[in-house]
Amino acid sequence: MASPPQHVEVNRAHWTRNNAEFTDAEAEDKWAGEEIVWGGFGWLESELRILGDVSGLDVVELGCGTAYFSAWLARQGARPVGVDVTPAQLDTARRMQERHGLDFPLIEASAEDVPLPDASFDLAHSEFGASIWCDPEKWIPEAARLLRPGGRLVFARGSTLQELCFGEERVTERLEHDWSDLGRMDFRSEDGGIEFHPPVGVMLGVLRRSGFELLELRELLAPAAAQTHPRYDFVTADWGRRWPSVEIWVARKHA
Amino acid sequence: MTHPNIEAWTRENAERYDARAEAAWAKDEIDWGVWRVPESELHALPDVADKDVVELGCGTAYFGAWLKKRGAARVVGVDPTPAQLATARRCNEKFDLGLEFVEAFGEEVPLPDGSFDVAVSEYGASIWADPYRWIPEAARLLRPGGELVFLRNSTLVILCSPEEDVAATEMLERPQFGMFRFQWPDSGVEYHLAHGDWIRLLRANGFEILDLIEIQAPADAETHRRSDYVTADWARKWPAEEIWRARLST
Repeated sequence: MASPPQHVEVNRAHWTRNNAEFTDAEAEDKWAGEEIVWGGFGWLESELRILGDVSGLDVVELGCGTAYFSAWLARQGARPVGVDVTPAQLDTARRMQERHGLDFPLIEASAEDVPLPDASFDLAHSEFGASIWCDPEKWIPEAARLLRPGGRLVFARGSTLQELCFGEERVTERLEHDWSDLGRMDFRSEDGGIEFHPPVGVMLGVLRRSGFELLELRELLAPAAAQTHPRYDFVTADWGRRWPSVEIWVARKHA
Repeated sequence: MTHPNIEAWTRENAERYDARAEAAWAKDEIDWGVWRVPESELHALPDVADKDVVELGCGTAYFGAWLKKRGAARVVGVDPTPAQLATARRCNEKFDLGLEFVEAFGEEVPLPDGSFDVAVSEYGASIWADPYRWIPEAARLLRPGGELVFLRNSTLVILCSPEEDVAATEMLERPQFGMFRFQWPDSGVEYHLAHGDWIRLLRANGFEILDLIEIQAPADAETHRRSDYVTADWARKWPAEEIWRARLST
């Protein structure tokens, strides 16, 4: 078997550290939440209405981390499967499952190579998971393979504009990067991970070549009452009210 | 009162486009935008052979002429500015290409439903017409399965363009949220949307999005003498122009 690409190893180490530093400690609060909330400035799914009715759907979450999003979907009647490449994150997810009495499969794998059968899901989902930490040329075709015809792919990531303006520490009002930097970004910090941020036109091309039709690109306006996130303070709420910091893509696999 | 865009393009036509029209019509290669990137590199257009084509905001109609040379059955150029159409008609006679012309805004075209296979706009309706009116109009004019291809300034270059008439900077000069209608000094009225808004609008009008080509200026490009709202250096680092390609559902 070929060894996994370097970014998989780097990102597993990155998320093992993050798990010890904060995601394990934050998991309980996330799991206890009743509402589906999209990351960043805390957009409520009940207001965005991106996912629609998920009850009865087979859902795969690609890069699930501590699997709080899958837990929310399970409470809405979906049958989720969480996939993540970092054992420590899945350990936290399992502990939360026991604590909250919610059981669904958790699979240790990179979203670029998922040991699950073809055409077994109605919805593939990623909220700052595979959507930024995996190579789109690999995980998008893999999502297509996992979906049934007509199934949907929904993913959230930082906007192209945010990534262009991401300076040393924070998002500024200057174009800090050239366009050519966006594909693979592995210089953000010494102990950081390797992220993938292909611009909109490139991402559209990957989706189409993988058999998807683009349904929507929702560029999210930070709510008027939003405050800068205490941990993800690299982008201010004020910035997010002028430019989109987060975007959500919705695509459908051709029937 | 004359519409500001007719006023602006009557002046532009007298100052520059009338004089350049014949050279543009004479070209055989199709190229795109300020940096003249060849269609043979970008592959933005469908095959137009034997197709009926409408150009929305055709100006002097050199782009329509190129498509007629590629074998389009019919090319109809639509433009609201009489002076531009006068130039187009003169070139059409000289080159004997058999284009047809209609004096109208891209928002309201007096042509029947479902009468074209391809709708194009190269810095025409794509920036000078209200997208919430011209996109539905393009959908109406196309037959099912017909394609829409248009070139516009990138959203990014608009965000980086200061209020005054100077080249785009490396700063975000204006917010993205709320961007829509622009009237720069001594110019007409332009419309610019963000990517997500374009996608929503195209889909609401029955289009499937086929491609978004964000154009990078070639290594040897030089800052354009007249189109100096962006330098070649800026446009090598970031896309200043983009082409959308969409297909009407069958």
